[in-house]
Amino acid sequence: MNIQVAGYGIICAIGNDASAVLESLKAGRTGIGPMHYLQSVHKELPVGEVKLSNADMLRMLGQDETTIISRTVLMGAIAIRQALEQAGIATEGKRVVVINGTTVGGMDVTEHFIRQISEEDDLLPLLKKHDCGSSTRQMADLAGLADAEVCTVSTACSSAVNAIILGSEMLKAGEADIVIAGGTEALSLFHLNGFNSLMILDKEQCRPFDKSRAGLNLGEGAAFLVLTHNLVKSEELRVKNNSHKLECMGNSDSSLLTPNSSLYIRGYGNRCDAFHQTASSEDGEGAYLAMCDALQMAGLKPEDIHYINAHGTGTPNNDASESAAIRRVFGEEIPPVSSTKGFTGHTTSASGAIETVICILALRHQFLPANLGWKEQDEACIRPYGNSTLINSKFKTGICTSVLCNSFGFGGNDSALVISSVPTGSSPEESRFKSEQLAEATILSADGELDGQALRQYISAGEARRMSLLMKASTLSSMQALREAGIECPDAIITATAYGMLETSEKFLNDMLEQGEETLSPTLFMQSTHNTLSSAIAIRLKCHGYNMTYSQGSDSLRWALRDAKRLIETGKARTVLVGLHDEATPTLQNIFRRMGKPVPPRLYSRSIILGRSPASD
Amino acid sequence: MEQLIKDLKLQIKEALNLEELSLEDFDADAPLFGDEGIGLDSIDVLEIIVLLEKEYGIRLANPKEGKAIFKSVRTIAEYVQANRKK
Repeated sequence: MNIQVAGYGIICAIGNDASAVLESLKAGRTGIGPMHYLQSVHKELPVGEVKLSNADMLRMLGQDETTIISRTVLMGAIAIRQALEQAGIATEGKRVVVINGTTVGGMDVTEHFIRQISEEDDLLPLLKKHDCGSSTRQMADLAGLADAEVCTVSTACSSAVNAIILGSEMLKAGEADIVIAGGTEALSLFHLNGFNSLMILDKEQCRPFDKSRAGLNLGEGAAFLVLTHNLVKSEELRVKNNSHKLECMGNSDSSLLTPNSSLYIRGYGNRCDAFHQTASSEDGEGAYLAMCDALQMAGLKPEDIHYINAHGTGTPNNDASESAAIRRVFGEEIPPVSSTKGFTGHTTSASGAIETVICILALRHQFLPANLGWKEQDEACIRPYGNSTLINSKFKTGICTSVLCNSFGFGGNDSALVISSVPTGSSPEESRFKSEQLAEATILSADGELDGQALRQYISAGEARRMSLLMKASTLSSMQALREAGIECPDAIITATAYGMLETSEKFLNDMLEQGEETLSPTLFMQSTHNTLSSAIAIRLKCHGYNMTYSQGSDSLRWALRDAKRLIETGKARTVLVGLHDEATPTLQNIFRRMGKPVPPRLYSRSIILGRSPASD
Repeated sequence: MEQLIKDLKLQIKEALNLEELSLEDFDADAPLFGDEGIGLDSIDVLEIIVLLEKEYGIRLANPKEGKAIFKSVRTIAEYVQANRKK
């Protein structure tokens, strides 16, 4: 079974649709520049903004331009509409699933109105659209997919690639007919200041892999793919493979790759670096494993990959670590590599989908996108392809049919995709095993008190100093469940959370609003992303396996369990740690009271261990 | 100088939430980073940079500059004394 890309949409700093993006890529034209729409005091920081106001986007979507809707939602809806239009497939009567990768959700609206919201009940409904799950629902509705099932994946900057991976898995398992997968993220004061507190933003245009690189530029945007499953018959595959071979021999006239060629998500890998919340390991273990998995699933050797779109943020740490990983996979024969973040800026949760669409454009239109900003070789880094786009490259002779797209996130959530014009022809994935629950541990605390003795069993004072209450609770329930199941390190870790890291996020937001956009705490920001919990447990257990975080309101646990069962039933994992971790800070409890809703407990953490049932061996 | 060292110890302990560390055991010459000594890491460097800006009006643009400054509480105190704006 092959996962076919039936359509795609994109909106980012270098264009509001695929053809504009293509033009900018070919011309080597960056979209990074002075801030225009984001209202920050940090004017010294260049950003990759989408060149449209919220009112412009509302008009494009046929909405009243005074409506208050998050930019994250607006950009996502625009990209989905483009993708659906290009795919031109009827969704009626089909099982359609929208899978969105995002982290900030409706933060741009929340940070703007939070002070008014705290006083005016009329504005409370704005907060209902803040969390990732609600913003994904709103985006799907705006895109005309009110009947579709929706899911949000939130693994920080690798979110969108993990959304594409989940979509592909669901299609392979026969759980959906059409998947619309990708990611969206608007610039917010929250994460601009967060990245700034980590001192990884460059005041100049970013220079991925360059010796003088000094950090990243943030960007914003959205991209979505329409994915379908496509059973390629063996005869058809033989013909396709033969014509591919002919082309590889230099028969460029019978170009197989045209702007209308079919493209496939041929392989993917999701791994965890299990090293640090905000830094990548020196040898890039997580990235290395993700790339290896992607190649293996694709049935390709390193030499079959002819272009790598690197994560390449431009920070000294990421680029050196990613280079080490690429060298480990490809040895001396490294294919052309470029980071396109010099065009778009780092579009965080959306970056994986934006760069997947850039890979698709590169394959279909036969060019190698530039690594803008690169001038001087750094020994610690791979040498990227070049700082100008090469048109009519080797692609033209058909040598290149498969590309690799890397996407890494905080906490070491590292993923990779192989996109190819040649299908694999493998048979549909079958459920071979049965899963069963091995253990469970639950912590419920109405007031936030935790059992100190139990905590000290697993968490040292040195570790505890940086952990929020929810981190402590989730670690405790996870360790208790693992102990009960007699497992030291599970094959996979999956977290479900409706609201994520509220205590730390709220504190960071309050500090920013009260003391201004200076001297903010990096510790609070690095613990604000939803995937903090899953990756912290992976770091503790040194678990390099599959690592995933779902944030879809009250459906989050259902999605996490579904994923865990699929991993076990298809033989990809033997044991999975699934956790539902949520907290209600006093502020959130107050909001629930004002809305007249039942007030959730301060802490709730439930960890479940799923394993392969012996009956199925 | 001794008062500044005392202040810094308290401020660092608070900013980094070093609850278990008593001020008496907090040696002004002990290495702050690495396995021997207090055992702080790169995120703590960023927190100390925030602290210096908040308390003493000192702005460090590049964490790498901090390497020599952040060896111990005493080296931080010497730097603060020479560069403080408040």
